[in-house]
Amino acid sequence: MPESVSNITAQMPRAKLAGLLLFFLGPAVAIYTLFSIYPLVATMALSTYTSDPSGGRHFVGLANFETLLGDALWSKPFWNAFSNNLIFFAVHMCVQNPIGIALAGLLSLPGLRLKGLYRTVMFLPTMLSVVIVGFSWNLILSPLWGVAAGALKAVGLGSLFAPWLGLESSALVTLALISVWQFVGIPMMLIYAALLNIPEELIDAARVDGLGHFRIFLHIKLPLVLPTISLVSVLTFVANFNAFDLIYSVKGALAGPNFATDILGTFFYRTFFGNQLQLGNPTMGSAVATVMFFIILVGLCLYLFLVQRRIRRYAF
Amino acid sequence: MTVEQRARSLGVHLVLIAYSVLAVGPILLVVMNSFKVRSAIFGSPLAPPDAATFSLAGYEKVFRSSHILTYYSNSLIVTLVSMALVLLFGAMAAWALTEYRFRGSTALALFLSIGIMVPIRLGSVAILSMMRSAGLNDTLTALILVYVAQGLPMSIFILSEFIQQVPKDLRDAARCDGVPETRIFFEVVAPLLRPAIATVAVFTIVPIWNDLWFPLILTSSDSTHTVTLGVQQFLGQYITDWNSVLAALSMAILPVVVIYVILSRQLIAGLTSGAVK
Amino acid sequence: MADLRIEHLNKRYGVTTVLNDINLNIEDGEFVVLVGPSGCGKSTLLRMIAGLDGASGGDIHIAGKLVNTLAPAERGIAMVFQSYALYPHMNVRKNMTFGLKFTGVRPAERERRVTEAARMLRLEELLERYPRDLSGGQRQRVAIGRAIVREPAVFLFDEPLSNLDAALRVSTRVEIANLHRLLKSTIVYVTHDQVEAMTLADRIVVMNRGCIEQVGRPLDLYYAPANLFVAGFIGSPAMNFFEARVKSVEGGRACVAGPGFRSLDLPAGHLKIGDALTVGIRPEHLAQGEDGPLAVEGVVELVERLGESSFAYLRRDDGRLFVAEIRGRQTPPPGERVTLTAAARDVHVFDASGLRIATPNDV
Repeated sequence: MPESVSNITAQMPRAKLAGLLLFFLGPAVAIYTLFSIYPLVATMALSTYTSDPSGGRHFVGLANFETLLGDALWSKPFWNAFSNNLIFFAVHMCVQNPIGIALAGLLSLPGLRLKGLYRTVMFLPTMLSVVIVGFSWNLILSPLWGVAAGALKAVGLGSLFAPWLGLESSALVTLALISVWQFVGIPMMLIYAALLNIPEELIDAARVDGLGHFRIFLHIKLPLVLPTISLVSVLTFVANFNAFDLIYSVKGALAGPNFATDILGTFFYRTFFGNQLQLGNPTMGSAVATVMFFIILVGLCLYLFLVQRRIRRYAF
Repeated sequence: MTVEQRARSLGVHLVLIAYSVLAVGPILLVVMNSFKVRSAIFGSPLAPPDAATFSLAGYEKVFRSSHILTYYSNSLIVTLVSMALVLLFGAMAAWALTEYRFRGSTALALFLSIGIMVPIRLGSVAILSMMRSAGLNDTLTALILVYVAQGLPMSIFILSEFIQQVPKDLRDAARCDGVPETRIFFEVVAPLLRPAIATVAVFTIVPIWNDLWFPLILTSSDSTHTVTLGVQQFLGQYITDWNSVLAALSMAILPVVVIYVILSRQLIAGLTSGAVK
Repeated sequence: MADLRIEHLNKRYGVTTVLNDINLNIEDGEFVVLVGPSGCGKSTLLRMIAGLDGASGGDIHIAGKLVNTLAPAERGIAMVFQSYALYPHMNVRKNMTFGLKFTGVRPAERERRVTEAARMLRLEELLERYPRDLSGGQRQRVAIGRAIVREPAVFLFDEPLSNLDAALRVSTRVEIANLHRLLKSTIVYVTHDQVEAMTLADRIVVMNRGCIEQVGRPLDLYYAPANLFVAGFIGSPAMNFFEARVKSVEGGRACVAGPGFRSLDLPAGHLKIGDALTVGIRPEHLAQGEDGPLAVEGVVELVERLGESSFAYLRRDDGRLFVAEIRGRQTPPPGERVTLTAAARDVHVFDASGLRIATPNDV
């Protein structure tokens, strides 16, 4: 009966086992419960209260959610942030994953030279702060500096240049692409690692069967790394519906122009802390956080029950 | 190599080089221009600084009008202390969860894994009011506590996988030798977890160092700002002073790049090690 | 040094019974080998003696002391693991002294014991090396050394030779036997290799499906297996079994016959006419020739030549295969029909429930 768990606890006196568990698990469980789980629960609880100007709190049931989703003053910006967030996520899925897969595929080609250098360089942006990345791109794309305009002109596409970050029509997608630029390293690395796990013999067998590199990638490697791709997608989903830093550092809390780049993270921040236009409202902020929690939960459940179940995992 | 193979290999390298340029170009551009005089920044942005255009004006300004060194030391303290605690408490918890059989261990493991997927940010409202009532508002301790809570679930998950790879016979041998349980962990198992540190580091240090959200809501004075928040506020204040802005960005970028280049081999090995599948 | 007494020991995981009512007495200084197919519970039994697995019921006494609730280190045992389980981040000396620190052995005494064990195991040159720099055989000796310095009452070995190559296995086996002669300590040794069991053991414990099938000296198991399982398990290639029935009982003698062999005379005992029996003969006890109380006929299908002897696989008329060991160079060619006989003392008979029935040579 090989078991990974030790049976040493079976003949340990109860008090000794309790002492050991307290010693080993105590600190982690205490900090985690106090500063992660409790705040989440408390925030959800707070979302059912409202505060009056004197600072007193009153239980209002689901009234905050009715306001958030029913009152046009709240629901319009909420749905705006939600749909912007969907677009933000869609851009990631459509651009980040294919580029990540393609780069991982190229990096895993047998006998490729300078592999380590490419890997290091391409992963670099992922290590940087979102704030720094956002601001750097803000400068580069700024018509004031003219680097991007100059670069386009140099390849004869000068007429295509526009102040993308400033235009209501293109700001959101531009920001999403900046985020993709920064985080493409993560799918690249995870998929690369999964590709390395495929046994060489399998690839050799396919080559003996007469398949070329591209077909091997498409028909052998890609199906085998599908679980990793779906994991990357769900990680991206959670990160996107929780994103804040990039928009805030490039566009500020108001997510301009005219809320065109407002996503749930910035909407939450404004509601909670307030800004030039409104006062901070912790109870409504809690309601927004609770809704975000359920959006992420629904996404995770969809992944667990629809995607992950259907994906076959292969053992080598 | 046939001509066709050579052409294909060349094509692969061209694509990879093009993407590499796209990846580091913007960073290089910012760092390069931070060392130039204002006229050269706008006149010839793509040229590296030379004797005529070299200037440290931006850096002088940053040092003069911000507490950049305080920010650095704050970031360093917060990141290192958080990471040490995440590693220590994470490894201890992972050990107990993988090694000891007890009632409720599966439920506890599940409970601890909630934090891998659910972002701790969503509890910010309550975190802020807790910290205020505990008098920890605007302290580095508050940041450390939150980051440790944030980093623990992932590190427990990763470290459990590593601990499972420590041969069972080794722990049993130590038990036959009469080594007490706590020392089995600290003197037999923990020394063998060194390769895991790189992996845990990628998943804890980087998000902590780069985080904007919690410094923004939990710290309010210059003496507790981290680099990320300090630079962000500096940028907002001096947005029209391009020398200073570029210098501030470079100062936030350079330490990370230096450490990354030194440790990239271990970091990437950690990232691609089977721990995260 | 001490005796070991196991009484009514049980082990269950949920609904699966791993060990069922184990009773075993091991005397002071005895070398006992637990042997059996994988999954028979022998390793679990060893781990329970060590205190690494808890019992579901029953008692274990070491040196007359009940140790059920004692931690491994308090039982006066030392264990050598299959994977050696050397601490990879400690050198050989540290590996051997590490455990002594926690059991209150003084530094000077630790040093004396390590020097002594190193001399005994020829490890003097290796004391400052790390496990990664040692060969498999050296690691094995360090693992044994780590057990010796504890000066335990009972040594426990868990398949210690299975990670070594064939040549090293033989020499290490000899070394372990010498060590036992030198230390005169009680040893419980688990293996699935019957050669190790036969060569090392004072007594062998054959286990199967969580039960003890037989306990006895190596040659007793070979010449008088208590049941069909032990008969089939000890010896290689395995014993041939033939179905048989009691044809007649007369004057205290029973006449036994079956398809494929000539009839056989046995002391009748409780046998009745029509009783189903199993007759067993080891391949090495079958010889070509016409004379003998038991003769089997078959057509040679395949001959495996090992050098000093050959194994012939023969098919009987009823379609069953059996094996015979043939000495010398001359082997019958495939396709030839041969008759093989065995002496009365080499014939084993088992009743319908698989238990041994006394044959002439038993008395």
